[in-house]
Amino acid sequence: MGEIIKVESVHMSYEREVLRNVDLTIGEGDFVCVTGQTGCGKSTMLRLILGAETPSAGRILIEGDVRDHPDRHRGYVPQKYSLFPDKTVLENVIFGPLAEEFSFLACLTRRYRRRRAELIAEAGDLLKRMGLRPGDGAKYPDQLSGGMQQRVAIAQALIMRPRILLMDEAFSALDQATRADMQRLLRGLWAETGTTILFVTHNIAEALFLGSRVIVLAKADPESGARVSLDLSLGGLQRSENGHPWHDEATKLMRRIEDAALGNHTDCELAELGQ
Amino acid sequence: MLSWTLFAAGIGAYIWTSRARHIENPEDKVVPTFVQIAQGLAEAALNPDEADEQIADLASAGLWDRFTHSMLWKDTKASTRRFVISIGLLVPAVLLGMHMGLFPVIGAFFLRFILFFDKIIALSVLPILFIAFGIDELSKIMLIVIGVTPTIILDAFNITKSVPKEQILKGFTLGATNFGVAYRIVLKQIAPRVVNSIRLNLKPVMLFLFAGEMIASQDGLAYRIALLRRHMGMNVIIPYVLWVALLLFLVDIGMRYLNRKMHPWFREE
Repeated sequence: MGEIIKVESVHMSYEREVLRNVDLTIGEGDFVCVTGQTGCGKSTMLRLILGAETPSAGRILIEGDVRDHPDRHRGYVPQKYSLFPDKTVLENVIFGPLAEEFSFLACLTRRYRRRRAELIAEAGDLLKRMGLRPGDGAKYPDQLSGGMQQRVAIAQALIMRPRILLMDEAFSALDQATRADMQRLLRGLWAETGTTILFVTHNIAEALFLGSRVIVLAKADPESGARVSLDLSLGGLQRSENGHPWHDEATKLMRRIEDAALGNHTDCELAELGQ
Repeated sequence: MLSWTLFAAGIGAYIWTSRARHIENPEDKVVPTFVQIAQGLAEAALNPDEADEQIADLASAGLWDRFTHSMLWKDTKASTRRFVISIGLLVPAVLLGMHMGLFPVIGAFFLRFILFFDKIIALSVLPILFIAFGIDELSKIMLIVIGVTPTIILDAFNITKSVPKEQILKGFTLGATNFGVAYRIVLKQIAPRVVNSIRLNLKPVMLFLFAGEMIASQDGLAYRIALLRRHMGMNVIIPYVLWVALLLFLVDIGMRYLNRKMHPWFREE
């Protein structure tokens, strides 16, 4: 598998330094979870990869090119405000393809109406796979629960068939049961589509369950920017039937990740389980 | 029900004052009786305007014909035309505010100027407007533009700023262009709140319209009120004032209704 994201010596500063000398390579089809303490720069790194911000130094290559503006190849699912409140669930899902294929005034044409009908059918199937009922398509986002909204947000991103899906604390606002449900759904979608996923979370257990790789960001001291303190490939991780890591192994890994998140490693530790 | 008691108390106080003044002076014009007001209203709303020669035979004309050739109708038409033009001119103001909020370069270019422009007391530039644009329609429209558009631009700017950044990023990741994000995402989301902002500014719009009409106009509701003031025509002025309030009230209700119908997803805060 080729590399799809390459982060090269990236520094990011606002009033203070947030990221320091971050180097990272993500392969096509990886499911990478980025974790670390609150305020360590996880979301900043995701926004840099999204192209919403430009690094103070260094560069980020997406499929070998510097792309400093968000585009249709990088899907995005934030924690909140994922959906457009003025559009129904179906309109939210089909918004992307219609916005991409048709200009503002082209919505008056017959071709637009035909394409819209095709997309509604496709979106209906996608929503069904996401666990929504047919009647939910006509609802507005604020008529759905948080979990349902995030399902729609994932469908909205996936209908564009992005090369990379960037998810920023996408399940943080959900209750435990819904969260577990969404985690299973996302793992299933990843296995099915092979989309490269970068998932930011502060929940270590979630990172261990979801990721094929876990990256931990941590600061060496309170004044400096965060760096990669642990890069853990979980390819050889023993998992139970439902995909969870075995309890003993998970406990050991969680301690190791917690330790890395506290910045106790002076250098980046690269580890691959099962090797 | 409780709120109607205030209306009843107001009407009661008016009747008492009017009666007291008419006992003291039967010729009193300052607080006319309800009968005098009804006569004044009939005069203004059912008799043809002096300048109108279209209805030759007043007696045989129907009520609607008599109303549509009346002074009240013509004044209402003239004021409504100016009002509609002024509201129409707020559309570019909304678009400018939205672009300022969405595109930092446009915001940086206009914001300081609009903030300064907003501080200008519109009535203080009225003489300048009359000199620059004459005493025709343009000066009255410009008065409203100067008085209300900066507020609407700044409101639209602030409302646009409050659209979550995630929504804009999401738009780009879904293949929308800058134009698509502005008109397919942001404009649709800010529309109900902008309509509310315009609705709340209806009174200033009317205020500036009335100021312009009172000072330099040949027709319009405010022109008539100013003209009748010279003759102490309170029996017509009071119906005119109530008519204006009623029209504004109906416009307000109409805008609320349309806002709800056009934006069913919108929940008022």
